[in-house]
Amino acid sequence: MLAQAVTFMSKPLEGISPTRRRALGLALLAIALLVMPIVNNNDGDIDTAANAMSYGILALGLNIVVGFAGLLDLGYAAFFAIGAYYYGIFTAFQVMPLWSEYWAPFAYIGLVEKFNQGGPDLVHFTLSFWLALPTAAVVSAGCGIAFGAPTLRLRGDYLAIVTLGFGEIVPIVARNVDSVTNGAAGLNGVQGPSLFGYHFGVASTPYYYVGLALLALLIFVSIRLRDSRIGRAWMAIREDETAASAMGIDLVRFKLLAFAIGAGFAGVAGVFFVAKLQTATPEMFNFSVSSMLLVMVVLGGMGSVWGVVLGAVLLQLMQTWLLPQVTEFAHAIGDLVGSAYLQGLDLVQWTQLFFGLILIFMMLFRREGLIPAVKKIPALSFEAQTANVTRGGFLNLANIPRWDPGTGNALEIRGVTVKFGGLVALNGIDITVPAGGVVAVIGPNGSGKSTLFNVITGLVHSDGGSIKYNGRELLGLKPHDILKLGVARTFQNIRLFSNLTVLENVMIGRHARLRSNPVSAVLHTPGNVTEERGARHAVDNIIAMFGNRLTPRLRQTVSGLSYANRRRVEIARALASRPGILLLDEPTAGMNPAETLELADQIKSLHELGLTILIIEHKLDVVTKLASNVIVLDHGEKIAEGTPDHVRRDEHVLTAYLGRAARAAVQETVDAV
Amino acid sequence: MTSMDVFLQQAINGLSLGSMYALLALGFTLVYGIMELINFSHFNVFMVGSMIAMLTLEALGVVGQETVMTGLPLAAVLIVAFAVVMLTCGALGVGIERFLLRPLRNVKGPAAMITTIGISYVLFNVVLITLGSDAKNFPNPLPPIKFEIGGAVLRLREILIWAIAIILMGGLTYFVQFTKLGKAMRATAQDPEAARMMGVKVDRVVMMAFFVSSALAGACGLIFGLYYNLAKVDIGFAAGLRAFTAAVLGGIGNVPGAMLGGVLIGLIESSAGQIVGTAWTDVVIFGLLVLVLVFRPAGLLGRLAPNKS
Repeated sequence: MLAQAVTFMSKPLEGISPTRRRALGLALLAIALLVMPIVNNNDGDIDTAANAMSYGILALGLNIVVGFAGLLDLGYAAFFAIGAYYYGIFTAFQVMPLWSEYWAPFAYIGLVEKFNQGGPDLVHFTLSFWLALPTAAVVSAGCGIAFGAPTLRLRGDYLAIVTLGFGEIVPIVARNVDSVTNGAAGLNGVQGPSLFGYHFGVASTPYYYVGLALLALLIFVSIRLRDSRIGRAWMAIREDETAASAMGIDLVRFKLLAFAIGAGFAGVAGVFFVAKLQTATPEMFNFSVSSMLLVMVVLGGMGSVWGVVLGAVLLQLMQTWLLPQVTEFAHAIGDLVGSAYLQGLDLVQWTQLFFGLILIFMMLFRREGLIPAVKKIPALSFEAQTANVTRGGFLNLANIPRWDPGTGNALEIRGVTVKFGGLVALNGIDITVPAGGVVAVIGPNGSGKSTLFNVITGLVHSDGGSIKYNGRELLGLKPHDILKLGVARTFQNIRLFSNLTVLENVMIGRHARLRSNPVSAVLHTPGNVTEERGARHAVDNIIAMFGNRLTPRLRQTVSGLSYANRRRVEIARALASRPGILLLDEPTAGMNPAETLELADQIKSLHELGLTILIIEHKLDVVTKLASNVIVLDHGEKIAEGTPDHVRRDEHVLTAYLGRAARAAVQETVDAV
Repeated sequence: MTSMDVFLQQAINGLSLGSMYALLALGFTLVYGIMELINFSHFNVFMVGSMIAMLTLEALGVVGQETVMTGLPLAAVLIVAFAVVMLTCGALGVGIERFLLRPLRNVKGPAAMITTIGISYVLFNVVLITLGSDAKNFPNPLPPIKFEIGGAVLRLREILIWAIAIILMGGLTYFVQFTKLGKAMRATAQDPEAARMMGVKVDRVVMMAFFVSSALAGACGLIFGLYYNLAKVDIGFAAGLRAFTAAVLGGIGNVPGAMLGGVLIGLIESSAGQIVGTAWTDVVIFGLLVLVLVFRPAGLLGRLAPNKS
């Protein structure tokens, strides 16, 4: 029945494109929200709606920290308090220094006024609400950076407990610094805003519209950030920190940015909330507020902008409408059946119990929230899945700019040693990769090959030696700086950003070559638009190199791809950074012979385009096909080096691979023949 | 009182607080060591334990501060109360693990931690709704025996707390070091995958960790009541955070570390209360937590938890 009704009613919509349908829906929603206070002129309802908006703003801010960047912040309300007290202190009659002539210029621009209540002249701060909104965002963001700088290096779960502590400290400070905050009693006489001479006072309607405007603005900001280089960097950090930093993302910087912007949102909400209530008490910002915001984000969907706003609205509705209604209903039934328990029931006091239950149920049964951030993409059609794949080297190379390898050596590794406790993983290794060349590293398991890649890309510390890329020392640099210089890599055990799409993964590879900052990303400045378009174009070209392997799957999340396709995405991601040298860690591991051959051809195409390549590989046919020079590692030592043919016959290599006895047996066979 | 007496008195107070924090910290450390999970429900399992202890003692006929017992009846009452509270809290912990956390064990990300926050909230609010938010008069059958050492006072309850804490910690150390299940627990902490392949029943180990830590939290709830003569719905948060700080300070995953950390935090709390005032004690403790995490994340005795990444 219901399904039929929906189908019938949506009939007229079929001719409209999804984008226009969205725009239409948004417009209808906006109109409904704009006329709501006129249609329903109930001050209590409008006040509730205005409160819901401030919680919506807070949920949006927390979503940037928790949902986008994956940093579990359990003390987010602290920044709400900072914004609130910032505005409160600079408008209330609490902090009032003695008047002196130095204050006159501030009085002239309207920040303070002379105040006399008998006794000496005092200074009364009169910070304008409109000025307070942006400055509170800046102040809170500053506090976010000050708090985040030492703590954001911590592992995720430690961060949760440290933020919890911070969220506890701020209300304690507010409670105990009486002279500034008036302690537990709270600030008195916080000024409401006024606009063109109209004082907002205590009526709810003006606050409703201000809240609506702020909420709309911050939804817009959230969406713009999410779809920009910044948002992609955050999501990469959330999915895999190591891979993110290896793809050129400065972890500390972008985590701090998420923390600061999230805190900024809370600062704005704090000013709005306090101006509306015209008081600020420490209890308004304790742990239960932080956890309520977490419930909103979890309920709506972590990382989902519309989801968290919905979460805020639903929780507000639950508290102010649903629970009182059900309580009244229960009382009525209690009267009817004469149950004293039902008559005395007050479900509003159960609010936090429901919060806890919501957290548990969402985590157990619907972790992605009511409106998931990741859209489900229908699987490919049978035709697309079984389409004839294109084999051979890379295709569509016309659009890929050639590399100019230059002359001399691209990579020079001299005497590099890495120790893990007592184990020497690499011992004084020397490797030279000529510009434009392909060098292969082989060796038994545990011989130090992957450690070699990790030390080149800055993921492990070296205990001596030197690694120079185009004459620049890499040792001591952070992974993201090394990528920026032009050294990109893939991982042995594929490290993609699993919940992101193919397109997003490869776009993140482009990160280091882009410049957008939060301001240009939000404003869509011409520079930002050109840059994004250029990046997309370059990424499309790279994906097109794989023929019809990846192109039809652009919008699929990589966790659903086949193993070989995930390998391809990882190579595409590394190429998107336009590296000067590509480090491939066992690219054909786990591939069948046909796929291996295809990939070998593709790597050869890259070499022919002039790209310098260092490759770890077990399959000797691949090595023979690609490499001009082969380096053999065993137990952290370089035991041989030379052309593939030379290395194949080397005695040390045979011993290392086959063991002494087997080696002798082989020798006997060879001798016998 | 001379300053020496003040020092001695604060040392006595600090050791008593520290014994409680150590018992709670052990719970964090055991679970974190095995599952890399900060178990926020531990905060309120402790609080529930204190409520159960109160109801048990009342059921045994101990009323407020009026009933004073000595000798065998006292020992019997205490043993029964400890047994009841430790078993019920242990069962609560096992239930939490089995039904709410096990389905999330292999889920990446903060899902399990968020669930424990939800559980903590539910426990808190169930007690709030059923028993109310007022401070309850915790029944205390201990005779008011006290010894004066200079100007400082050492009460019987403090000696009792120390003794119980030492017995429980000794038992736990024996369990973890020398029993088969304890060894399985340590093996799982190092590498669950390898432990499973060596025939360790990981599910049982995890369940045991939750049972032991929740039972200790329950015992701690009873001790808390005997020490402060009160039970209140909001005691879990402050004590829990201190205990977590203690676990981190000692080195998370490290059983002796949790005991050392607990005692240190107790001493720091009592001296901070003396020096900067009780209103700021929380700030001192959290500040310490941040400093330890930033400058010595492995804690004093070294972190024994596996480092999965």
